[in-house]
Amino acid sequence: MQPVSRRKFLATSSAGALGVAGAAAIGPMASAAAADDEPTPDQLAHTGPALLQVHDAAKGEVELLIEERSIVFTDKRLVARMLRASK
Amino acid sequence: MSSHREAPGISKDPVADNTDTYAFRTPNNTITIITNYLPVEAPAGGPNFYEFADDVLYQINIDNDGDGHANISYHFRFETRNTNPNTFLYNTGPITTLNDATWNRRQRYSVTKVEQRPGRRPKVTPLASGVPCPPCNIGPRSTPNYPDLANQAVKQLRSGELVFAGQRAEGFFVDLGSVFDLGTLRPFQDMHLISTAAAPGVDALANVNVHSIAIQVPISDLTRNHSVPTDPMKPEAVIGVWGSAKRQKGTAYDRDEDHRRYGVGPWKQVSRLGNPLFNEVIVPLDRKDEWNSVKPWADERFAKYVRQPELAALLPMLYPKTFPNLKALNGTERKDLVAILLTGIPAGPIKGFQNFTGTTLADELRLNVAIPPSPTPKRLGILDGDLAGYPNGRRVTDDVVTIELRAVAGATYPLIDSTFKPDGAVTVIEDGTFKNLKRTFLNNFPYLGVPYSGYNVPAA
Repeated sequence: MQPVSRRKFLATSSAGALGVAGAAAIGPMASAAAADDEPTPDQLAHTGPALLQVHDAAKGEVELLIEERSIVFTDKRLVARMLRASK
Repeated sequence: MSSHREAPGISKDPVADNTDTYAFRTPNNTITIITNYLPVEAPAGGPNFYEFADDVLYQINIDNDGDGHANISYHFRFETRNTNPNTFLYNTGPITTLNDATWNRRQRYSVTKVEQRPGRRPKVTPLASGVPCPPCNIGPRSTPNYPDLANQAVKQLRSGELVFAGQRAEGFFVDLGSVFDLGTLRPFQDMHLISTAAAPGVDALANVNVHSIAIQVPISDLTRNHSVPTDPMKPEAVIGVWGSAKRQKGTAYDRDEDHRRYGVGPWKQVSRLGNPLFNEVIVPLDRKDEWNSVKPWADERFAKYVRQPELAALLPMLYPKTFPNLKALNGTERKDLVAILLTGIPAGPIKGFQNFTGTTLADELRLNVAIPPSPTPKRLGILDGDLAGYPNGRRVTDDVVTIELRAVAGATYPLIDSTFKPDGAVTVIEDGTFKNLKRTFLNNFPYLGVPYSGYNVPAA
């Protein structure tokens, strides 16, 4: 799978079911501020698939499934952008 | 069935459906453990014959200290490939070896041993990779010498284990058609609430196949102190065994032009099997999927269904006047069933025997490895004085339906209360399949019989 930019990832994601399958182009997940940063090359180095699942849009709670791990984080801006992309 | 399609969720995912688990002593101080998947395979089910799933993690788990957690797990992962892109056929000629170019759809697998260590990361040891599965049994033209093909797929690993993964004849026998028709037992249906003339039992699984993962392991690899116990009364002589299947939390199809499905994220258990019929008969329908998702250490939450089993209440109702003593017993905590299914049988009730693992309530197939194999196995195992049979482990020939039916009906309650007298019917009640059983088991690994071929059993 080709790495994609964060902008392209969000623009092309299928967020209708609040789930996004695509490359792991998401960098630091800890805060909304970090989510606004441009990703660094090492953050885009992952080549396997990843899934994003929005558990609770109102709270901005997102679960990243990657490799054999699950990472739950809060990013209201990311969720808002995903939902906008579905409209 | 033992655990075939026993829960709503897993009934829709047969490749991950863990149907039976067997564990028993075998020659040279070894234990053979078999876990089955893919229930009720119609032998003629081509052109896409049955196979393991590449996106499922299959496990055989051993608890050797009684806490309901696996101390040792063997992980099996499969990889499937087609060798000929230009044919719709499973095979384009006879398959006589596992390397034949005529065989188009192949599976190989890896085996990994995972050992849990208190306070430390698990020890992960790859034992083998690229181990071939045999093909399914197609028919006399495609698989002319199936036993030989299957034997080629029995592999001795450098670490000492013997492994096999592939199709086998179903070993479990039961009269499904009757037991799910309001608890009918054909030989006794003249006494049923809705009575008809008594009739012989019908083995509903007589002509179907299953996919088995089998491993034979030195006893010393599995016991808590790596010993080969000879005293059955020693705690280290008992191990608990169960099979399981896991899927990754996320599953998706890849890009539109590629129909490949992939899994990603942590592994989640979707099926397990320790004692036969536990989820099938003990756990209410509404909680069967939950039971499949949790580990044995969490089985306390299901213990109330063992203490007061629904089946024990149904028997006196379905067979009026046949189970008066059981009817009177109902309402009493069934400590005998708790022991058999959740803790193991403690020392005392059966002379020279125990398979007690402690107070943790966990559905595990408990095996006292110090009990040697019986030279004359009895189908009713411990109920008939054969300490090498169920519920001390489980052999492929054990009649677990009858054993558990009689236990629930009160046969084992005298182990707890010697004043209790089981009803007369308890000594004879059964589904009647064993009397006309037409199964052939093997005397050696992997013990389950040669699978039925699609040609010879065109309509299962």
